[in-house]
Amino acid sequence: MKSAWQLEAEASIGPAGRGHAVKRFRLSNGLGVITVIDRRAPIVALQTWFRVGSRHERPGATGMAHLFEHLMFGQTEQLPPGEFDRLVERTGGESNAATWVDWTYYRLSLPTRDLPLGIRLESERMQHLVLEHTPVEAERDVVTNERRERVEDDVDGWLDEQLMAQAFTAHPYRWPTIGWMEDIRALALPEIRSFYRTWYAPNNATIVCVGDFDEEALLDLVSSAYGGIEPAQMPDAPKIVEPEQTRERIVRAPKPIATDRLLVGYKAPGQDEPDWATLEIIATLLAGCPSARLYRRLVIEREAASSVDAQLTPFADPSLLRLAVTTTRGHDADEVLAVIDAEIAAMAKDPPTKAEVEKAKAIAETDFWTSLVDVDGKAEALGHYETALGDFRKVTTIAERLAAVTAEDVARVVRSTLIPSRRTVVIAQPESDDAADDGEETDD
Amino acid sequence: MAGPTIIIEPSHDTPLVWFDVSIRGGAAADPRGVEGLHRHVALLARRGAGRRDRSELDETLDNLGAAVDVGVSRDAVTVSGLALSRHIDAVIDLAADILAEPRWSEDEHARLLRETPQVLDEIRDDDSALATRWFDWVCTPGHAYGRTSLGTEASIQRIERSAAIDLWRSEVTADNLVIGLAGDVDEATSSRIVARLLERIPAAGKRSVIAEPTSTAAPGPNGGRRLILVDKPDRTQAQLRIGHLSIRYGHQDTAAIAIAEAIFGGMFSSRLMQEIRVKRGWSYGAGCALRRSRKPHWFEMWLAPGAAVAGEAAKLTLDMYAELAEHGPTDAEVDFARSYLVGAMPFQSATARSRMQLAVRDAVLGVAPGYTMGLAQLVGEVSASEVRRACAAHLRPENTMTVAVSTASLIREHLPSEDGTLMVVAHDAY
Repeated sequence: MKSAWQLEAEASIGPAGRGHAVKRFRLSNGLGVITVIDRRAPIVALQTWFRVGSRHERPGATGMAHLFEHLMFGQTEQLPPGEFDRLVERTGGESNAATWVDWTYYRLSLPTRDLPLGIRLESERMQHLVLEHTPVEAERDVVTNERRERVEDDVDGWLDEQLMAQAFTAHPYRWPTIGWMEDIRALALPEIRSFYRTWYAPNNATIVCVGDFDEEALLDLVSSAYGGIEPAQMPDAPKIVEPEQTRERIVRAPKPIATDRLLVGYKAPGQDEPDWATLEIIATLLAGCPSARLYRRLVIEREAASSVDAQLTPFADPSLLRLAVTTTRGHDADEVLAVIDAEIAAMAKDPPTKAEVEKAKAIAETDFWTSLVDVDGKAEALGHYETALGDFRKVTTIAERLAAVTAEDVARVVRSTLIPSRRTVVIAQPESDDAADDGEETDD
Repeated sequence: MAGPTIIIEPSHDTPLVWFDVSIRGGAAADPRGVEGLHRHVALLARRGAGRRDRSELDETLDNLGAAVDVGVSRDAVTVSGLALSRHIDAVIDLAADILAEPRWSEDEHARLLRETPQVLDEIRDDDSALATRWFDWVCTPGHAYGRTSLGTEASIQRIERSAAIDLWRSEVTADNLVIGLAGDVDEATSSRIVARLLERIPAAGKRSVIAEPTSTAAPGPNGGRRLILVDKPDRTQAQLRIGHLSIRYGHQDTAAIAIAEAIFGGMFSSRLMQEIRVKRGWSYGAGCALRRSRKPHWFEMWLAPGAAVAGEAAKLTLDMYAELAEHGPTDAEVDFARSYLVGAMPFQSATARSRMQLAVRDAVLGVAPGYTMGLAQLVGEVSASEVRRACAAHLRPENTMTVAVSTASLIREHLPSEDGTLMVVAHDAY
């Protein structure tokens, strides 16, 4: 059966001389399969990645991709309600899923002997999901409660949602992956069914299997389970370019919290673009370790913040470098913003030392290997790069990209990227006694 | 004199080494009225050691791409490290400094006294963490596990630097340590690392016995369910914690209770998830667990229903729990949970790091070496009738504490407080 497959790409993942071979095969209907044999434990990570995320939704129907993260565990033509989870849990395995802007993936962790079950279950729900009124309404209620827990009653969730909504005016990254509450409540069954038929197709999916299994047997299983599925006509993907941001945007709102919290987002390139690696280094230098510049200034020296975090969102299209700060009693967001501006100005004026850049590279190296320790981590890294950036082999170039970054690169990218006119600031402030009348306040 | 417990788990898949040095005696052993002492001393030790002050220590570790952090549980303080294997010797030397020669900076001591109340603020801002903090405090009044590692605003201010130093010196002795090492190290390197960690640490301190929680006995009052509503403005849902004091991990009925836990709230197919989430859509999650600790700890349930259905959800959970205690699970449920738990063990022990951490935890909790790795076998041998007997013996639906973090005006009248034991408190009162 292996001859039905086309071996498209090969690479190695892991330390030189002791890495694991990675292969990508392609079935004639477009289904991709990435394999990594790792025999340290009698288990497999079986993940199915779909090139559909919240960016593929339309305004008014946000939350659709994430709703499927729930619906896909429901009834199929062959499986009664609840049977999917029961079959997986009886093995000792686990199932879960995740949705973000560029992708959705479904994760099964199974004992090796139950890999055939996993393939059967994934194939079944790719083709034969039952989308009827009752199960859809039940999951709609669950999702609204998930949203209450993660956004309405969680100040960090609210900050995150507001940041994206204010920072992007045209790109679909502007709406939350979980969806706006009114949209979740309004998603209609015909459009839900249409979304499934459009995006859940073999030519829009990649299976990633990492663990202790026989490669030929896996390919035989996948061929049998998926070979008869027809590819779908994928919609054209219009290239939406976010307009250049030319003025700082600031939003403030009262929340039931003890001290100010702020989230700052600077427009940053997509993960595949040349300056991405430099921004990774910059994020680490600013707030990615205990000796980072902002951490030292804000937490240790001024005691103006209890936490500072920097994160570069790994999106396919241009996104944000985010700084998240929780202030301490007696300090406020404006003071913190002034410190952030001063530190960034200093980094733009005088490049960091070579030693400082090497420090950030060492931390990035540790983080990289940590992400690949277990079979799930390897599968996630490969699935993300294959689905969001088009080629799993880009995982293997991360180290080279980081190693090439120089102190001059850092100063150049700081000057071009971390400027106030290209940033959005969201601030949550403690409610005053008359907070009931306070609304959100936006400066632009 | 007993030496340290040492666990080595080599694996050469990635060029990383992890180590955990657990010091028996955690937050539960804080002196009464000085809660937060173990956390304080552990953080203080990390803020400057050997010839390096805090900044120099941070800088040196970061330059190596390494991390050494301290964590505090109820039963132990743990100094954990992660390093690229080519730097492991240098990182171990820094960890040895932290264990043997903290600088006990007066400035850092004072700074920590200012910082910790800010962490309390962050917990008050987080409904889930706030519910857990309140539940721990009120579940079984007087129990040592009710005192969280952070302490309170008042207890933090009672921490004295000299007491912190004395505590560290009395507990950081070789006979009180559990050392775990995992990752890209060979046998010779492992031996050298352990020797380096120990060479400046006394074999035994003034205290030759393992630090114990200062109180573990006090059970909650029998005679009814209690309910505390933690009032916080602008909530749209309620974070619920429901539970009571139960058995210790390693008790002869641990395997039977693990099965009951899986059936009631440990799987997606569990009773709670099916009734609360799948059938009614009331909460995104719903689950339960027996807390794994050295001494008897809570059996705890959790869910986060919308405010409009919080009362119904709490009542249904309590009714289901009472039904489980009275009748126990069915034979089919036990068979299913056994299959799940036995099958899940390879995932828990799949990496060298996870095997090391399981073994370190076993040693800290005082169960036999390999107990957790062997629990699957015990689970496989437990009969359905034994599970039902354990449920009847150890589940106490008549004696539960319920904590709800929500907006009181929204949910108060709906909560199941038929016997009048509902108490409303401000969310920042503890």
